[in-house]
Amino acid sequence: MRPILPTRSDEPIFWLMFGTGGMVAAWVLPAVMVVFILAGICSPDVTTGLLSFAQAKAILGNWFLALVLFGIVFILSFYSLHRMYHSTHDFNIHSKIFWYVCYGGAAALSFIVLGLQLVIYCKLF
Amino acid sequence: MSEVKSFRKPYHPEVKATWWKENPFYIRYMIREGTAVLALFATLEIALGIFLFAMCDLDSGNQNADSVAPYLWWVQSFLGNPVVIALNVLTLVAQLFHMVTWFNLMPKAVRVFMNKNSTELLPDYVTKIGLYAAAIGGFVVVLGAALLTK
Repeated sequence: MRPILPTRSDEPIFWLMFGTGGMVAAWVLPAVMVVFILAGICSPDVTTGLLSFAQAKAILGNWFLALVLFGIVFILSFYSLHRMYHSTHDFNIHSKIFWYVCYGGAAALSFIVLGLQLVIYCKLF
Repeated sequence: MSEVKSFRKPYHPEVKATWWKENPFYIRYMIREGTAVLALFATLEIALGIFLFAMCDLDSGNQNADSVAPYLWWVQSFLGNPVVIALNVLTLVAQLFHMVTWFNLMPKAVRVFMNKNSTELLPDYVTKIGLYAAAIGGFVVVLGAALLTK
């Protein structure tokens, strides 16, 4: 007979990131979208305009702003893919594969962005 | 497993993948869930920008249009593409919809009591005023930082 062992759920961790991401999406993402739309309209150059190269360099070269940017990418990727994973059940897809696809994708995206930001930060110094 | 034969015949009603189409409430629920896809789109946009920034020639001190061509492609051709601008506007509207519905459910999800000695709850509007004030604060901080810094 198989012993029944109590197993701990990993759901609270993802739930915490989902809740934080929901707050970040509500508080920060609308303003980020406005910045992206304005940058798309004004077509910035190397030094002038919204989100010009010089401004991006100032953001990514500042350790605090770079960490904030990484935090936004990290929490939003886990938040959105957590919700998309739970939405697969709404479409009658009950497969554990999507668990690995969604959380693995979120983790991969976060690690790639963190690595790129480290490379940029080291190069700018 | 027990040795006794089970005579249970549980009823599993069939659920179609289109179950949400019949009720406007469930359609709204699915639209709300769809905002997560656009949040992922925004995240991928930021990640693409960081990736293309890393592709630039950052070692030389003075950058010109040639050495930072990947980043300029992202900010001029990608963000300036009419399809991407339209998707960004759609994402903005979706995130504002998410914001309103998210703040509406907050007082239901987190119950704040008036004080330690009573079970009386803090009125919903107090929580919501705080949340919307923080949203306006975030909006001002991000836009101000983006527009005022060079």
